[in-house]
Amino acid sequence: MNVMKEIKSSRIGDRYYEINHASGLKIFVYPKENNNSTYAVFGTKYGSVDNCFKTSDENEPSTVPNGIAHYLEHKLFESEDGDAFARYAKTGASANAYTSFDKTCYLFSCTEKVYESLKILLDFVQSPYFTEQTVQKEQGIIGQEIRMYDDDPQWRVMFNLLRAMYHKHPVKIDIAGTVESIAEITPELLYKCYHTFYNLNNMVLCVAGNVDVYKVLELCDKMLKPSKPVSIDRIFEDEPDSIVESRVEQKLSVSAPLFQLGFKEKAGKTRLTVREIADTEILLEMLASDSSPLFRRLLDAGLINQSSFSYEYFEGPGYASVIFSGESKNPDAVADEIKKEVVNLRERGLDAEAFERSKKAVYGRMVSSFNSVDNIANTMASLAFTEHELFNYIDTIASADLQSVQNRLNSQLRPEYSALSIVRPIEE
Amino acid sequence: MIGIEQRSVCDGVNFRSVRDTKFKTVRMSVNFLLPIQKQTAASNAILPFLLSRASREYPDFTKLGERLAELYGAELNADVQKLGDVQLLSLSASGIADRYALHGESISTELSKLLCSILFDPPFENGLFPQDGFEQEKRQTIELIDSEYNDKRTYARQRCEEIMCKNEPYGINRYGSKEDIKNLKREELTDVWRYMIQHAKIEIMVLGDCDPQPVFEGFYDSFQKLGKRSAVACPTENVKKADQVNDVTEQMDIAQSKLVLGFRTAISLQDEQVEAVKLMVTLFGGTPSSKLFLNVREKLSLCYYCSAMFISMKGIMLVQSGVETKNVDKAKEEILFQLEEIKKGNFDDDEINAAKLSMCNNYRSLSDSLGGLEAWYLSQTFANYVKRPEEEAAIISSVTRQQIIDAANMVTLDTVYRLVGNGVEKE
Repeated sequence: MNVMKEIKSSRIGDRYYEINHASGLKIFVYPKENNNSTYAVFGTKYGSVDNCFKTSDENEPSTVPNGIAHYLEHKLFESEDGDAFARYAKTGASANAYTSFDKTCYLFSCTEKVYESLKILLDFVQSPYFTEQTVQKEQGIIGQEIRMYDDDPQWRVMFNLLRAMYHKHPVKIDIAGTVESIAEITPELLYKCYHTFYNLNNMVLCVAGNVDVYKVLELCDKMLKPSKPVSIDRIFEDEPDSIVESRVEQKLSVSAPLFQLGFKEKAGKTRLTVREIADTEILLEMLASDSSPLFRRLLDAGLINQSSFSYEYFEGPGYASVIFSGESKNPDAVADEIKKEVVNLRERGLDAEAFERSKKAVYGRMVSSFNSVDNIANTMASLAFTEHELFNYIDTIASADLQSVQNRLNSQLRPEYSALSIVRPIEE
Repeated sequence: MIGIEQRSVCDGVNFRSVRDTKFKTVRMSVNFLLPIQKQTAASNAILPFLLSRASREYPDFTKLGERLAELYGAELNADVQKLGDVQLLSLSASGIADRYALHGESISTELSKLLCSILFDPPFENGLFPQDGFEQEKRQTIELIDSEYNDKRTYARQRCEEIMCKNEPYGINRYGSKEDIKNLKREELTDVWRYMIQHAKIEIMVLGDCDPQPVFEGFYDSFQKLGKRSAVACPTENVKKADQVNDVTEQMDIAQSKLVLGFRTAISLQDEQVEAVKLMVTLFGGTPSSKLFLNVREKLSLCYYCSAMFISMKGIMLVQSGVETKNVDKAKEEILFQLEEIKKGNFDDDEINAAKLSMCNNYRSLSDSLGGLEAWYLSQTFANYVKRPEEEAAIISSVTRQQIIDAANMVTLDTVYRLVGNGVEKE
């Protein structure tokens, strides 16, 4: 039986429906009646980090080649009776998919024939078809995708940082794997991963836009093949608290150095609370946004620029870190300034006015994100996998208090757990 | 269907607005259009950045930033683009709709005041832009030009456009040259600013959940105070046909080579057949069911991306791909072969319909995002008749098979650009 719940936000003035579907799938439908477009995402809690696992039915864990979740994403578009893109071509939907560290999502956006497009999505994701020949064909395509990332300095500077911070955790491995690791992928391995992780109990469907919740459910009732409830044990080696090395460099064809500075945090099996995430967002806004004293000092010293400097709270299953990034003629000086400012703020305490301002800024950006159905659907999918709720997050920001953010500062951004990754130009 | 309202503020200044409460935000932008020229590209390009960093009321960069944070993380952005042979200098402000302010503030009123003040009343010191801000923006603009080199796909595309249009203004970098930015003098910029305000063609856009009337009045008053203005003409040159093929190969220390082919289509924005060309380009390489995707990527497994795009202002079609060095010419041959197929009419109704549905879907989706609406209407600036995205979708739907074939037969290859790795390939 399907169980449906309506979730409203008086703050945003919107509502959505959460359905525990009889098949085992969790479904979210966020109607936006005045929208032209609808965006749907069908995702599984399975990403590049899940390379060692065991289901409740198995005795021994399996280890699979790096990059297989992404490879599977590519190959799922092919079914016995043709390619999903060819089917979408008849509805006009714009379709795509992505694999991240902790999830794989299949999506489309369309303005007409919504339910026909949804039917295609539900169908092809539930219909794996892998043969020696089709698997072989993809080696060249994904090989070129990997090569493209080899030349991408932003991507390289990030993975170099992750390798400098993480000893064991597979977050340090490229999402697409390497040309060598994907050569080991076989149809059997793809089926193995598929049947483990593409179980509806491990998946979510999020639809936002010009849709009717009952029509979505009617289609789901027809299309979803019930999955046997199963629990998946994802096996990660113990990750030490320490970093691997505090500084890494690579040379690439770039015109000026790029950097990422990461502060590694302890992260276990339990994920962060909404409060912790919201407080960190506000803290980072106070520390390093365009209006912060730190940003101004770095800018005036000619060490950073507005178009490239950014920060994020990078967190997922078994990993969490604050990462600052940008272009700089002197990345070491930027890293020193950031660390100095953290120590200063910890000693002086956070400023109440800056806190109020930063809270408003984070809140405003969150409100703005509710314009976009892409954003809503993708965020709902991420939150579903961490068992957080969409509207609760914005309420948590609005109710943030200074002391709690101060406490966050006291436990985060420890210089002894920081690493600096630099990509430098190749000297002539 | 919510429509667009258009009115004139004064000579050469248009005001367009779309008011729609389905958005939770507002976005307003002032877009200055000037012919792009080698001598003025750099001094024009730095202006929006310089203006966006301070106002008379908030002369300090950090104070202005604090004010924006106060306004619920509102943003003030500067941007420089090219629209054909025209340099497009934009300043935009965006923020949440008034109904979401926690203490009853009117964000839209504040943003429109802010936008007017940074534009019309810069915090001049003795009639000049402040020295420190000028130096900072010079450095940051140079760093913007530098960073274009880091993204190899964009870099290769730019090089192809530069080579192809070396005798047209379009071949000039949107920011001007690094050298010209370095040599800018603070003293010249006040006049550059004055000229822009007095003589650029200006498009003001107010979109989202806010009443455009007070914003219009604010700009109206500001322009009235300036007195009479006259807008310069912004022509764009269209080369109809390539007489010979430029063939350029450059080397760089990279893993994957890039191939960019530049074509002349003979048709641009103001021509009646422009929708036929757009559809032809989409069928050729605009979607995952296009000729290029299905053949260069899926059939031959040569690449991860191979796609075609149309620059309607210039009537230029570009095909871009990333391939192994040893496969560059194989990819090029296949791309040209697929174009021949379209010229010969070797495509079926399913392919036409797929291209039409995909384009119509994209046009109809534009009305769901303020950025999408703004980009669409800006792209229409020089059209004979400004269409709504839905009208464009209807015209696309009516293009015939023969019109696609005719459009393809007008296409000539102008430039082949290869950016290749330095020989050694890791396996």
